[in-house]
Amino acid sequence: MSVRRIDITKCIGCENCWNICPMDVFRFDYIKKKSIIAYPENCQSCGQCYLHCLGHSLGFSDESTSYAITSTR
Amino acid sequence: MNSSYKPEDSLSQELPIPEVMPPEKTEYTCDVLVIGCGWAGLNAAVAAKEAGADVLVVDKGIPGYSGLSSFSSSHQWFDSRFGDDLDACLREMTMANEYLANLGWYKEWTKYSEMIYERLTSWGFLTQYPTGADSGHYVDGDWRHDDLRGYREEMMAYDRRTKWVETLDRYKIPYVTRTMICDLIEQDDRIIGAVGFHVPSAAMMTFHAKATVLCMGGGSFKPSGFPTGCDSFDSDWLGYRHGLPIVGKEFDDFHFCTSFAPGNVLSCNSWTYLENIWLCGGDITNERLLPRAQAEAKNLILPRIESATRGVGAYTRTDVQPASGRGSSVSKDPSDPRRGKWTSDLPKGNIYGAAVGMQLHLGSGIWCGIDDLEGKTGLGGLWVAGDGCNGSCVSGGSYLAATGFTSNFCSVQGYLAGKAAGASVSDVSLPTANDRLLEEIKDEIYAPTKLQYGFDPNLARDQLQAIMAPYWVTIVKTERSLTSTLSLIEQFRDEIVPKLIARSPHDLRLCHEMKHKVLCAEMKLRASLERKESRGYHYRADYPFRNDEYLCYLTIVRKDNKMQFQRVELKDEWKGDTTLPYSKRYRTFRFPGENEAMHLENDPSIPSSGWNPSEAFHTEETVKQ
Repeated sequence: MSVRRIDITKCIGCENCWNICPMDVFRFDYIKKKSIIAYPENCQSCGQCYLHCLGHSLGFSDESTSYAITSTR
Repeated sequence: MNSSYKPEDSLSQELPIPEVMPPEKTEYTCDVLVIGCGWAGLNAAVAAKEAGADVLVVDKGIPGYSGLSSFSSSHQWFDSRFGDDLDACLREMTMANEYLANLGWYKEWTKYSEMIYERLTSWGFLTQYPTGADSGHYVDGDWRHDDLRGYREEMMAYDRRTKWVETLDRYKIPYVTRTMICDLIEQDDRIIGAVGFHVPSAAMMTFHAKATVLCMGGGSFKPSGFPTGCDSFDSDWLGYRHGLPIVGKEFDDFHFCTSFAPGNVLSCNSWTYLENIWLCGGDITNERLLPRAQAEAKNLILPRIESATRGVGAYTRTDVQPASGRGSSVSKDPSDPRRGKWTSDLPKGNIYGAAVGMQLHLGSGIWCGIDDLEGKTGLGGLWVAGDGCNGSCVSGGSYLAATGFTSNFCSVQGYLAGKAAGASVSDVSLPTANDRLLEEIKDEIYAPTKLQYGFDPNLARDQLQAIMAPYWVTIVKTERSLTSTLSLIEQFRDEIVPKLIARSPHDLRLCHEMKHKVLCAEMKLRASLERKESRGYHYRADYPFRNDEYLCYLTIVRKDNKMQFQRVELKDEWKGDTTLPYSKRYRTFRFPGENEAMHLENDPSIPSSGWNPSEAFHTEETVKQ
């Protein structure tokens, strides 16, 4: 939907995404030291995981996922 | 594992979802339990600790990251050193907020707001630093061009979100994370704690406390977009379940919004997360409050009613809104630090994402009584504080004369509730819930995991959003539109909610959030039906005028498992001059259709819309007069 993986090998296991996400999108594998985009359907598109990803392993898709109701915010 | 990047492999690179072990500790006791840790929760926890209590914080996510607080962009306080005038402000506030403003709470805010500003400053929340434009990281508001990551890394020391945990640590206040509270423990008409589950593992979590403070925020029906985080009307559900009155449901904040295009949302929302919380104030805390409210009505109410009804334009596109002192109030005194919002230019227009059904700030939630000034509920041992949680109605039925003060006001409410809760526990012994009660709560929490078949909570989320998002539900309401929507929600309540199925711990959280959202949807529709007038953010196209028969708060109470309304009479001094003729009494703005219904001349000094609601409804609906 919006958060996406660019390259799992770049995940350095900092846990930022798993700690920051308010929507419970992530899980963390403590054996392999990698985050998991477990529930992307609940991403609220705030992008904070992407901005805090120290290894630049996460990306962001910019496809529209729904349609405008009105012309104003 | 893939070593070369292939975009098409995006999610297929992910490792399997691991099973999460329950936390080592699942049962807690404390003097004061603070549930939710945004502005209200943090200030409640510290104030209770300062009062000598043993405090524990529990949060659905992690303090600083879970709700709307981390997204605050303005901080306003009342400062008489720079000419803020309480008497003028209160006089203007009555008319500017259409005579529903709770002046008791407003006065309380003016007493404590400067102290809260200084407190948050000392905790590091309000340090001002260069914007993205000033630091060279901002290019044009397009996330593919702007260096958002570079800006975040350079300004990391200022990141407000880390300050929540730093402050809790400084005051030696322990906190439990990733735990959703699903019920309160009520025994002998007293709240003695709360029960929930650890979201990643689904382990049951039990908290016994002498006093409990709910600081859980509000909610919305959105699937994405405006970052309201995990707010899902959790405290409304707890309050209603335990027989407390819920107020203000007919007043929505108009964040019905636009598309959910995530790339644009990233740009628009990220700068707000990353740049300053701006210091505001000085131009609404005095006699200039009514013109300010009129200007806000021109921006916030009239065009939104019209555009919601008309739909998208033929050439809608993303515009960039220039930086200015916009968005909140700005002092005209050059020595006043309250200089307003000076963000980098933000993209705005067909981009912003939705938060359909978001509560009117500070106007909706658990009602504590007309004289309450600390958030003490009608249940022993239970306090409430903050936006969406304490329905204090401080700004009445609109946000016109209050913009920019939510973060400060929530902090004031948290401080007062925490102080009172902390002081209450010295002569109370720590209670214990009986096992049968805990078993009953446990059965209800885990019911969605026991079903063999049921409905996916994400499917239900999308269906609910589709029911509640149309303009005729939350923006331009009529008897017919509300009644027909209510029948859909009743069906949803009876046929879908009991069959929400949890196939993972994550699903269990979604099932409970859906249950809370559906209850809130029903309350919004019933309250909108009950208030047969237009006022503030509540616009009834079939009653497009103010009617002083509704000069009251409408509360919803659970009785015999049904929603019952009660009217709360306002204090006389809050009502303004009720003898004035209508045209002089109501001067904030004119609703579409109001002049015609009330046979008023068009007054150019009062904002109005040339748009006629008959454009919205090609049916037999008639305007009541």
